[in-house]
Amino acid sequence: MWLNENAPIHKHDLVFSKPFVNSAGLLGFAPDPHKIPFISNLGAFITHPISRKPRYPASNRACLPYPGGFLLHTGLPNPGISRSVSRYKRAWAGAPLPVIVHLLAEDPESLAEMIRKLEGLENVMAVELGLPPDCDSEAFRKFMQASVGELPVIPCLSPEQIPVLRETLLELRPAAVHLVEPRGVLPNAEGNLLTGRLYGPGTFPTMLHASRELLDDGFQLIVNGGISSKLQADTFLNAGAIALGLGSTLWRLKPEFLV
Amino acid sequence: MQTKLVEVFQIGAEKGGVLDLPEDAWPAPGQHIACQRAKGDSDPLNSQVFQVIGEEGHLNVASIPEDWQPGDILTVSTPQGRGFVLPPDLQHVALLPYRVSPGRILCLMREALNMGAAVSFFSDTVPPVEIMNRLPAAVEVSPISSLLENLDWPDFLAVDLERGDLPTFSTLFEQVDLKLKGQVLVRTAMPCRGVGECGVCAVRTTKGWQLACADGPVFPLKDVLHVAQ
Repeated sequence: MWLNENAPIHKHDLVFSKPFVNSAGLLGFAPDPHKIPFISNLGAFITHPISRKPRYPASNRACLPYPGGFLLHTGLPNPGISRSVSRYKRAWAGAPLPVIVHLLAEDPESLAEMIRKLEGLENVMAVELGLPPDCDSEAFRKFMQASVGELPVIPCLSPEQIPVLRETLLELRPAAVHLVEPRGVLPNAEGNLLTGRLYGPGTFPTMLHASRELLDDGFQLIVNGGISSKLQADTFLNAGAIALGLGSTLWRLKPEFLV
Repeated sequence: MQTKLVEVFQIGAEKGGVLDLPEDAWPAPGQHIACQRAKGDSDPLNSQVFQVIGEEGHLNVASIPEDWQPGDILTVSTPQGRGFVLPPDLQHVALLPYRVSPGRILCLMREALNMGAAVSFFSDTVPPVEIMNRLPAAVEVSPISSLLENLDWPDFLAVDLERGDLPTFSTLFEQVDLKLKGQVLVRTAMPCRGVGECGVCAVRTTKGWQLACADGPVFPLKDVLHVAQ
């Protein structure tokens, strides 16, 4: 169950009407029912990663398929927090589902500034923190302290970050934790190595393994996991995840278990 | 929408196929459609296919995955993106596949000939025999250097290239005050097919960064020449 009816509900608790969300970066900045016909099957919409200043596409941007999935390297282009708020706040407010804004944590000061800009916006349910790959426990603590405010804060961790940040997570106990796709490296057509997140069904076993550790620690867990079937989704939900982040399956013409 | 893959063929280095779609569902030259096998497709991404030259009256597309077979049932999208649009007062059309297979750009040939325009095809490599066999006698084949020497001949230039080749393509026209109209089909991965604005297919243009999946993949020549990355 994604909603425990017996437990008391606190201000910063996250409750999803449906157990699916999208992975950040895979459905754009605002939910658009015309482009995303299955949007009503999601319990919340997670925006593209947003930084304080605008970011442009990486010069070596690429989508590199491999057996079982693909690596995505984009540079996380976005118009920056100020333009994002002015461009999308109406769409967020009018969206048929709650919105979680994904923020790129670059330094604690700019993160605090970004969060202030989101507080009070209609229909924004929470903020997610996209942590730098080399984030250590001290930096993580500072990011979490800078994020304290009106909105629940959900740090995003990839499996390789759990050993580094677990102790601090246990101490800080955020409203929820979002376990996101692992990073990987692949050579492009020219033989140059590209780093990016890995998507696709091939990540499922890794994500299931990593999720058990966080669920055993009692975290409210949203988990992305290369989910491509109802059986896989049920496996995560039965293990105790509060929501599942769907990735590349949302780009399919027919996301099998959503339509 | 579902359709059947009627037959498969080789076109240069690409594998192509014939789709059993009604003509009003065909992509225009330069547009694409997303396809996935209705059952048993293990590929996490859709395939983006473009119309290519082939037998008249059939929808010939490429590239399709190697393991697709005749008889496969496919789920397909409606035509997506912006395709080529030939100007109405067309007289001389230059078709230029730049370091890519000519199958996609040659789809424009029939439309241009039907408009009464003269068509020339510019390439530094000899097209595959299955393509040469489909070129009418009225279409002249010349090397790219002859286009550069006669830039006052075409009134429309249609180009097909990989995104990564845009900078080197621009150098061909470095010393030229290019006045002719033209459009460029920019080949790039479009994994999210516009649903996600993922940014992989971003193209730098004179209007800023644009997405090939939504704003292209065919762009005005003047928007991408000398600026594109």
